[in-house]
Amino acid sequence: MAQFIMIIVSAMFINNFVVVQFLGICPFLGVSKDFKSALGMGLAVTFVMTLTCLITYPIYTLILVPLNIEYMEIIIFIFVIASLVQMIEMALKRFSPTLYNAMGIYLPLITTNCAVLGVAELVIDTKQIAGLIGIATGSMNIGFAVLYGLFAGLGFTLAIVLMSGLREKVARLPINKHLKGFPIAMIVACFIAMAFYVFALI
Amino acid sequence: MLSLLLRPINFATLGYVILIVAVISIVFAFLIVLVSKLCFVKEDEKVKAVSERLAGANCGGCGYAGCADFAKALAEGKAELCSCGATSNEQKQEIAKILDIPFSATTKTFAVVKCAGGVNAKDKFEYVGNSGCTAEITYAGGRKICPEGCLGGGNCVEACSDNGVKIADGVALVDKSLCVSCGACAKSCPKNLIEFIPVTAKVYVACSTKCRGKDVMSACQVGCIGCGLCARNCPEGAIEMVNNLPVINYEKCNGCKTCVLKCPRKTIKEI
Repeated sequence: MAQFIMIIVSAMFINNFVVVQFLGICPFLGVSKDFKSALGMGLAVTFVMTLTCLITYPIYTLILVPLNIEYMEIIIFIFVIASLVQMIEMALKRFSPTLYNAMGIYLPLITTNCAVLGVAELVIDTKQIAGLIGIATGSMNIGFAVLYGLFAGLGFTLAIVLMSGLREKVARLPINKHLKGFPIAMIVACFIAMAFYVFALI
Repeated sequence: MLSLLLRPINFATLGYVILIVAVISIVFAFLIVLVSKLCFVKEDEKVKAVSERLAGANCGGCGYAGCADFAKALAEGKAELCSCGATSNEQKQEIAKILDIPFSATTKTFAVVKCAGGVNAKDKFEYVGNSGCTAEITYAGGRKICPEGCLGGGNCVEACSDNGVKIADGVALVDKSLCVSCGACAKSCPKNLIEFIPVTAKVYVACSTKCRGKDVMSACQVGCIGCGLCARNCPEGAIEMVNNLPVINYEKCNGCKTCVLKCPRKTIKEI
């Protein structure tokens, strides 16, 4: 239970993918103009991150490590994730048009997003991930990996939804025209990042 | 760096790595083919044909997310063909034939702002607050004395996807050459000041006031006072006074511009 809480706090707040580790900045700034699309994007990223951990962790530990070709991880991860997302997209289109309409358009955008590749690289780095969630280096397993992916995705959703809410408010304020749009979004992102940094001090 | 490049290649390891990557990729390729066969969705031929014939402006004037979305709604019978202003009549006719729906040709139109107030119209108070017409209109209907006066807040400028509207002297102005007649600006205007007139039109009435002539005299330098000089002097009889405002019948108007010359307030404008 303690480990479970540690994973949530670590993945969502202390090591939030967007505002602490600066991964996945492109969707964070690009799709945060309104609440609805930000939520869709966030959920799509959560979904893909969880699946990524579920599939890349066994591929790494069961195929790459025994064969001594760990250095091929990035190439193999990229096409495994890309093909997986392709399959998911087709399956969604066929079986759940509602879900496809909600997040289908964001899925191709995040196939090899840095946040998604980042979570795959992080969960296989046993030493680092064990340090982050406070477990013994040897006891890392696929359950922890998938949970970490899920909560990292939820952390991304949290950050992008916060950002969209603030940007919606900021868009209506009478601000200097040179600051309108992107510059003010960067300043808002900066404040969110500073707020999240407080968690790292716990 | 050079020594790294000149290092002898271990072909046995290389071959074995390539083999493993190839095996994994072939497995995934088969999986993708399998999934795509299992999850094949037949795309509606009609939707595809319709979206090919739409203008593809993606202006959003019809109220849908884009031309593709509009095409889908058309095929399902949820949308009406006339709500698209950007597609030409010939294309619309073809679409109507494909979908087997009735269609009547409409003349090509463009948007005009029926107000020329701006700096010429007096304010009743100074407005300090959030920008945009929607915010301003919540305070006693905006700062203009004339209830039908353009606030120049720029709702229409933001709504236009073709940068065809600009604010000049405190009043919105549509650039005829850029207008695709999508209707997005008219929907965004909280005072409903934007109207669509045929592209062949030579003149338009740049005022929508419902005030009496005496009130207009004191509130706006370019507002219509309802004198009716334009209607009386029009050689074609194309102008009719409705609610103290001239209404031009563009089917009769021959573009002689007598009304522009006769108007004492310069309310009727040339295009």
